[in-house]
Amino acid sequence: MTKAERREQQERQRAAKAEKAAQNSGKNPPKSANKPSQSSGAGAPALTRRGSRAADFPPKGAQGQSKDAKAGADDKGAHTRGLRIFSHFGLPKPTSHKGEIHPAIVRLGLQFSEFKITGANARCIATLTAFKTVIQDYVTPPNNTLSRHLMTYLSPQISYLVAARPMSVTMGNAIRQLKLDISGTDIDLPEQDAKDALCEKIDTYIRDRIIAADQVIEETAGNKIKDGDAILTYARSSVVEKVLLAAHADGRQFTVTVVDSRPMLEGKKLLQVLSSAGIQCTYLLLPAVGSVITETSMVLVGAHSLHSNGAVFSRAGTALVAMMAKQHSVPVVVCCETYKFSETVQLDSFTRNELAPVELFKSFPQNRPQDLSSLNDQPNLQILNPLYDLTPPSSITAVVTEVGVIPPSSISSIPLALGRTML
Amino acid sequence: MPVAHSPIQALKSSSAVPTTILEDPSGSLSQQGFDVYASYQRILENEEIATPLAAILALTELIEHSKAGTMFELVKELHEAAEILKKRTTNPISLNAGTELFIAFVTLFPHESDNFADLKTKLVKQGQDYAAEALTFRGKISELALDFIKDDSILTHSYSRVVMQTLLRAHKQKRISVYVTEARPRGLGVKTYEALTAAGIPCTMVLDSAVAYVMDMVDFILVGSEAVVESGGLINAVGSNQIAIIAKAAKKPFYALAESYKFHRLFPLSQYDLPTHNDDILSFPRHAQRLSPVLTARPSVAPSPLAMTPEQILRNPRVDYTMPDLISLVFSDVGILTPEGVSQYLVGMFAG
Amino acid sequence: MGIPPEVQNVANQRIVEVLVSKLRRRQVVGSRQTAIETVLVLRQVVSKARFSNIEQLIHIIKAVGRRLVQAQPKEHTVGNTVRKVLHHVREEYQAVSRAGPSTQTAKSSFSISKFVSQGQPRKQNLTAPKSDTRSTSLRENDPNDPDSFAKGLKPVLMEAIQDVLDELETVYDNVSKSAKDHIHSDEIILTIGHSKTVESFLKAAAHYRNYIVIVAETAPSFGGHEMACSLSSAGISSFLVPDSSIYALMSRVNKCILGAHAILANGGMFAITGSLLAVSAAQAHSTPVVVCAGQFKLTPLWNLYHDYGALDFADPSSVLGFEEGSLVDKVDVINPYFDYVGPELIDVYITNDGDHPPSSVYRLIKESYDDDDHEL
Repeated sequence: MTKAERREQQERQRAAKAEKAAQNSGKNPPKSANKPSQSSGAGAPALTRRGSRAADFPPKGAQGQSKDAKAGADDKGAHTRGLRIFSHFGLPKPTSHKGEIHPAIVRLGLQFSEFKITGANARCIATLTAFKTVIQDYVTPPNNTLSRHLMTYLSPQISYLVAARPMSVTMGNAIRQLKLDISGTDIDLPEQDAKDALCEKIDTYIRDRIIAADQVIEETAGNKIKDGDAILTYARSSVVEKVLLAAHADGRQFTVTVVDSRPMLEGKKLLQVLSSAGIQCTYLLLPAVGSVITETSMVLVGAHSLHSNGAVFSRAGTALVAMMAKQHSVPVVVCCETYKFSETVQLDSFTRNELAPVELFKSFPQNRPQDLSSLNDQPNLQILNPLYDLTPPSSITAVVTEVGVIPPSSISSIPLALGRTML
Repeated sequence: MPVAHSPIQALKSSSAVPTTILEDPSGSLSQQGFDVYASYQRILENEEIATPLAAILALTELIEHSKAGTMFELVKELHEAAEILKKRTTNPISLNAGTELFIAFVTLFPHESDNFADLKTKLVKQGQDYAAEALTFRGKISELALDFIKDDSILTHSYSRVVMQTLLRAHKQKRISVYVTEARPRGLGVKTYEALTAAGIPCTMVLDSAVAYVMDMVDFILVGSEAVVESGGLINAVGSNQIAIIAKAAKKPFYALAESYKFHRLFPLSQYDLPTHNDDILSFPRHAQRLSPVLTARPSVAPSPLAMTPEQILRNPRVDYTMPDLISLVFSDVGILTPEGVSQYLVGMFAG
Repeated sequence: MGIPPEVQNVANQRIVEVLVSKLRRRQVVGSRQTAIETVLVLRQVVSKARFSNIEQLIHIIKAVGRRLVQAQPKEHTVGNTVRKVLHHVREEYQAVSRAGPSTQTAKSSFSISKFVSQGQPRKQNLTAPKSDTRSTSLRENDPNDPDSFAKGLKPVLMEAIQDVLDELETVYDNVSKSAKDHIHSDEIILTIGHSKTVESFLKAAAHYRNYIVIVAETAPSFGGHEMACSLSSAGISSFLVPDSSIYALMSRVNKCILGAHAILANGGMFAITGSLLAVSAAQAHSTPVVVCAGQFKLTPLWNLYHDYGALDFADPSSVLGFEEGSLVDKVDVINPYFDYVGPELIDVYITNDGDHPPSSVYRLIKESYDDDDHEL
């Protein structure tokens, strides 16, 4: 139902925009900059719609400007075409309608959109914890069963979170599991028991699929670290952090090189944690990776999600590090729990990605005072900041999961091997 | 008789041929008066002289003893001598490099002097001067290569004098360690190993089949050469091509050291386009080989490694051809060259 | 050979000192600027120099060159310019000395080793060249009039040095001449850092074509920011992206255009950190890599020390500043300034003298510089 509402809303917006474009001829570039922010939600239907909306531009630009010189129309066309290829990346829109959203979800949405909680595992755990609160506060309306109504109650909450920041694969998988559990609750169970059972299932999910899985991964990956190794890692993966700390606590001698990149600069936090634990670290920015890759014995990275063709969807820049490592015969090991598996096949980084807000990009480090306004008022200058990229399976040597070390393309056979229908 | 420098004088110690030019009243030259092959063999006894240089020196001696009256006759004699040498050597490639270089030089030598004997004297002197200078080439090459060597692990193949000199030179200033392949069937790698260990360089022998295993521990590969060909490729002891392919896969630099007299105007299209290739190489035996009696008599209690029979070894190639895209750089006395740069010198010498 | 003391003191001339200190403190910014300043200094040195034969002049220039190179060994254009000037000086000297009656021994010793390194004997030395206005023959080492040699040669040398200067000043225009042939409409170009050569190349192409440029910001120097601002103010639609998205965007990029700091004799180059990443990603996607550089960046050095770039490191505080106080002494911070990019990763060099593939760079170097000058 809410999906239909959303669809109507977007149709209305598109019609309005078509009118405006027909009136204002020379304002295409700024409009296309506004276009992503007008979109709401990033579900699959919205993606195609945005694509078709973008297709409206060249005809709009061409029509109704018969008096303009041809060069002018071509100019506009070129501008819009250029910005169009990135148009399907949705920029997060500041959320407006709060309606019946639970305050825990509202707070979570705010934390997501301000990038206070980042990382696939962290977001998933935070979401599930928030949902536990929501479920406990939920009261089944009369003439309804919990198993049927709870889901419809949760849906707007989920779309609120998605509006704040596009959903991660981990969140998606977890919510799917939750839906399965909800629809499977026994109708005869008293409400409080049903709610408790659900919360317990959520806890079990977190414990088994994330926490326990991480422990197995720590041990398995830790066995691959030998004394005297030089490990390279990129940005900040919670799993990799755990692996390195566990291996160090185990008494292994190794050094870590942390490669970091703007604008998120997450590696610095990892650096703090590792050096306080006493591990010898080196820190550098991504462009310098070519100089150190020859001295590395292993590259250890985390993942946002893993696809059935073996491609790893991870923080932007991971693909570069993996590619350089592969070229220098350095093994690339991805640490990833099985719940991060996504059945879709992604071919490149454009299929599904997320752009970070522009303000994040402009936050310069203190030691480099820059005139930020110069970046703002350039009409032909756009700032693009994809947060993720896709590492092809050819650059990856091995994936460490809680079921063992597997080659990247074998992840799709795991459910069958474990006797499950889905991960 | 032109006075030669000391290394050349050493060569003239024992000569099977009278050292004076015989005056032949008929004016025609008898080839039988001078055995060029024996001369060539004798010169080769000096370990420092490589085959192309020995060929050049043998031809120089031929000129000395030649009774040709015109340039045309002289060049003809040189060609015939080169043919004789080629026929009697199993691996004529580097020999050809030397003979072709010398014959081209003789043909192009500007001869304004009317006195032919005078000209011959000049040619002989040129040949001997070049040979003397050529002995310094290895030193030049090792100086050039020195800049590329840090405290590295180096892999080398078989035995090469120029590589040996480079490694010894590098050892004086840097801390290198060397892996050397056994280079069967001749096993010359053992010679390298012994020489390097005697000099105090950490060295270890590697099975020919273990090169891929060791490749990740190596920083770069250094090999000598029998000839560097027009395509920029390398002809060297069999096994070099394998090492180059593995080096490429592991992204390690592959450097070839070659003196300039080894540049040869040959363009092999493949391994089987080499002059050393014939149908016997790696062909299937026509009848089943019986185990040589030595093997069958050995009791099975002490398992020693089985070995190929000499006939089987003969059916294997001695040299192979490494393609230019596998070679990073060629170090030569004329400078550091990319494989493409080699053809520039060859064209300059032989074209037109 | 005895060099009179006043010749040796030339190296200490004030003007040389000024440039040396500027170089040492890295006050000269940009390779082309450095080259221009070097030529100006050399011009002064040559015009004031006193020498009675060609070897003395070459010795003077080499001495000055050595001092300048030692002041800033990582700035290769200094050495290259000195070598170029030496090459021109020798050329002019050869031309002039052939005109006069005092010809050298034309048929110098032709030996086998010369045959190998120089090829078949060419007849140029024997024939008399076209008659010049330079009818006065140069007398070297004339005890009566020691300056006659210098006076005769100097005007020619000044012209030659002016040629070098002219070439340097028109570098950007010449490189950009073929810009419109290399960039087509609606192409998406990727570039990194701020190279003035690439900037003028792209701006020249923008006059004829509409295309899009993606600029990677290239931390920590952030040259990409200036580049993006400059390009967009010239009317080119530009995108500024962080370095991490280079691989992600590469599948849409049609060409990768980069600048170089120095082009090495094997066809490889030193370029700003991050170039190796961009070029490797381009290779993974089979995207052509184009490098725009002036010919004054051709360096007759082979890559020494392989992948460690120019071993030049910049200030680590731009990577990890002192505000992270607790980390600073526990952590090693690496901030290399340059990358080494191998010749197999580059498709073409666009120079002010035409387009060349990396495999023919060694030939360009042979033509531009003399072998004796490789070591100053």
